[in-house]
Amino acid sequence: MATVGEQTPVVSNHTKDKATKAKVTLENYYSNLLSQNEERENRYRLLEQSMEKEGLSDEQKNERRQQHATKETEFLRLKRSRLDIDDFSPIKVIGRGAFGEVRLVQKKDTGHVYAMKILRKQDMLDKDQVAHVRAERDVLVEADHQWVVKMYYSFQDAQNLYLIMEFLPGGDMMTLLMKKDTLTEEQTQFYVSETVLSIDSIHKLGFIHRDIKPDNLLLDAKGHIKLSDFGLCTGRKKSHRTDYYKDLSQAKAGDFCDYNKSSNPMDSKRRAESWKRNRRALAYSTVGTPDYIAPEVFLQTGYTSSCDWWSLGVIMYEMMIGYPPFCSENPQETYKKVMNWRDTLIFPPEMPISNEARDLIKKFCCDPEHRLGANGIEEIKSDIFFKGVDWEHIRERPAAIPVEVKSIDDTSNFDDFPEIDLKWPTYPEPQGQEAQDKDSKYKDWVFINYTYKRFEGLTQRGNPFPKS
Amino acid sequence: KRGIFEGTIKFKLHKQANASLNSGIDLQEVVKLPHGEDRNDWIAVHVVDFFNRINMLYGTLCEYCTEQTCPTMSGGPKYDYYWCDGINYKKPTALPAPKYISNLMEWVEEQINDENIFPVKVGVPFPKNFTPTVKKILTRLFRVFVHVYIHHFDKLLALEAEAHVNTCFKHFYYFIKEFELVEKKELEPLREMTERMCHC
Ligand SMILES: Nc1ncnc2c1ncn2[C@@H]1O[C@H](COP(=O)(O)OP(=O)(O)OP(=O)(O)O)[C@@H](O)[C@H]1O
Repeated sequence: MATVGEQTPVVSNHTKDKATKAKVTLENYYSNLLSQNEERENRYRLLEQSMEKEGLSDEQKNERRQQHATKETEFLRLKRSRLDIDDFSPIKVIGRGAFGEVRLVQKKDTGHVYAMKILRKQDMLDKDQVAHVRAERDVLVEADHQWVVKMYYSFQDAQNLYLIMEFLPGGDMMTLLMKKDTLTEEQTQFYVSETVLSIDSIHKLGFIHRDIKPDNLLLDAKGHIKLSDFGLCTGRKKSHRTDYYKDLSQAKAGDFCDYNKSSNPMDSKRRAESWKRNRRALAYSTVGTPDYIAPEVFLQTGYTSSCDWWSLGVIMYEMMIGYPPFCSENPQETYKKVMNWRDTLIFPPEMPISNEARDLIKKFCCDPEHRLGANGIEEIKSDIFFKGVDWEHIRERPAAIPVEVKSIDDTSNFDDFPEIDLKWPTYPEPQGQEAQDKDSKYKDWVFINYTYKRFEGLTQRGNPFPKS
Repeated sequence: KRGIFEGTIKFKLHKQANASLNSGIDLQEVVKLPHGEDRNDWIAVHVVDFFNRINMLYGTLCEYCTEQTCPTMSGGPKYDYYWCDGINYKKPTALPAPKYISNLMEWVEEQINDENIFPVKVGVPFPKNFTPTVKKILTRLFRVFVHVYIHHFDKLLALEAEAHVNTCFKHFYYFIKEFELVEKKELEPLREMTERMCHC
C-alpha cells in the first residue's frame, strides 16, 4: 500500500497533457488571485478617497460603504454563475472573420444586447491560432477604455470559445469603405485621427497590434472608432510571439518579378471596383490579406510598435484613393509589392489628393527608421494634415459620418449572412463516450482560464469531473 | 460516509512536501473575510473554486488511481473512508478509491449546482443548512487531499506538480481553519505534514 520504494511511474502522454493543463490553470489561478485581491483593496481605497474628497458625513459614508459592499457581494455571486450559449438568444449574424463569426445576441435575463464572437477551437488548433486567441483575450482584458471594444464575458464549451463584447452598431470601416467610393479629406482626417488615438492607447499598454485593417476598425452608435480584434497583437507574453508569416516570407522573399510591366495597368476606378468585389472573400480567408502589414513585420529582423503606423498609412490611402496601394490579384503578389514599396507606392494622377494627405501617407509608409510616430505620438498629432483637429475632445464631437441607429439592436449597418443558420451551432459529438476526455485532441488547457473576470463580468465553473 | 479508523502503524509521507508556487501571495491573509463582505457568499465562492481545482488535480492522477492500485479509499493504514450518500449507498460502503472519489465529486458538484443551497441570483438568501452542507463538502474534499498525498505523492513528483498541489492544499487549509469548517479529527491523517507546511 505504501508508495515508498516504488519505481518512478511512467507518465503517459495523456496524463502529461492533463498535468500541464492543470498546472497552467493553477499558476494562472494564483497569479490572478493576487491581482484580484489587490484590485479589490484598491476599489475600497478609491471609495474612501472619493468620500473624503466629497466631504461626506459619517452617516453618508457608512451608507456608501454599505452600497459598495453589496456590489462586491454581487460580484462574488456572478463569479459563481455559469454562462453558456443558452443564456443568450441569437438575433442576427453580423460578421464573419477567418476563424469565427460574430452575432448580435441578447442576454435572456437582463435583455442586454451584445456582440458574440464564436471561435471554433478545432479550426484554431488546426490553423495554429492558439497564440492568436490568447493574445486577443489578453488585450481585450487589459484594455479598458474608450478606444477599444469592451469585453464582458467569455466562456467555452467543447467546441467553441465565446467572447461577449459590447455591440458596436455602426458597422466596420471595411463595410463603410465598400459602400463609399472614397472618403473626403475631412472625413479621412476624422477617422485617421481617431484611429491614431486608438492605436496609441494599445501601444501605451505595451501592445503592438500588427494587424490594423479596416475590418478591425469598428464604429460605435455615434460613428466613432473603436479598435477590435487583437488576433495578432504581440505583447509581453510568450504566446504572442508566434510568427505567422515566416513561411510566406521564406518562400517568396527575393523573387520580385516585374509585375509592374507585365500586368496591364488598370485605371484606378476599375482597380477600386475589382478590389471591392474581392474584399469580402479576403476578409473571410484564413490566409488573410497582407495589404496592410508593414514590410518589416514579414522579415525576421524585428519590428516595433511603429509598424501599426504603416498600416494606418495604407488605410488612409485606401480611404482617399478607393483601394489600398499594394492590392493585387493574390496575397503573394501583394506581399511582393509591400516588400518593394519604394517602387510600388504610387499615387494615381487621376485621383488627386492634397499634398498634406499624400505626404502623411508617405511618412507612414516608409522605412521604420524614418516613419512618423517612431518617436512617439506627438509628432503625428502635430503633422500638418491634422491641422484643426481637437485631439482632446474628438470623441465627444459629432462624427464625420453620423451613424443612424434606430435601436440598440439595429443591424442595418451590417451585411446579411443569410447562408448562416441562426440556430446555435451544434457539432457532431466526438466518437464514443470517452472521446471527450481523450482530450489531447482539443488540448483544452490552452483555453482554460480563458474566462475573463471583469468586475462586472463572470467566471465559469471548471470542467466536469473527468470520468475515466 | 463515516470514516472508520483502523490500523496503528505510524504512517509517514516518504517525501517531504515543501515546494510551493511562488506567486507572491500570502495565502493566510487572502482567505480572510474582506471588510463588509457576506460570510456565506465569501465561503460559497471559495467552495466552488476549491472543488474545481481539487477535481482537476485529482483528474491528472486518475490513470494511477485505479481499483487495482487503490482497492480501498484509505489515507494510510490508519484511515479508511466508507461512502454513504443515503440514496445509492444507504449504508457506509467500502469502495475502491477511484469509485469513492468519483461519487464524492459528483455529489459535491450536485450540491454546488443546487441553487437552493448555493443561490446565484442576487438577493436570494442562503439556506439555514448552508454551513453544515459546506462543512460536509469541505470535509469530503479534504479526504481527496489525504488520499493523493499519502498514496500518490510520487506521481505528483513525477508530474512536477508538487508545488501546485501544495499551494492548493495550503490555501485550502488556511481557509478551513479561518472559518472552522472541518473537524480537527478529520485533519489527523495529514497533521504532521500540515504542521510543517503551514507552520501551525
Ligand atoms: N463588437 C462588435 N460589434 C459589432 N460588430 C462586430 C463586433 N466585433 C466584430 N464585428 C463584426 O464582425 C466582423 C468580423 O469580426 P472580427 O474581425 O473580429 O472577426 P475575426 O474572426 O477575428 O476575423 P479576423 O481574425 O480575420 O480579423 C467585423 O468586421 C465586424 O463587422
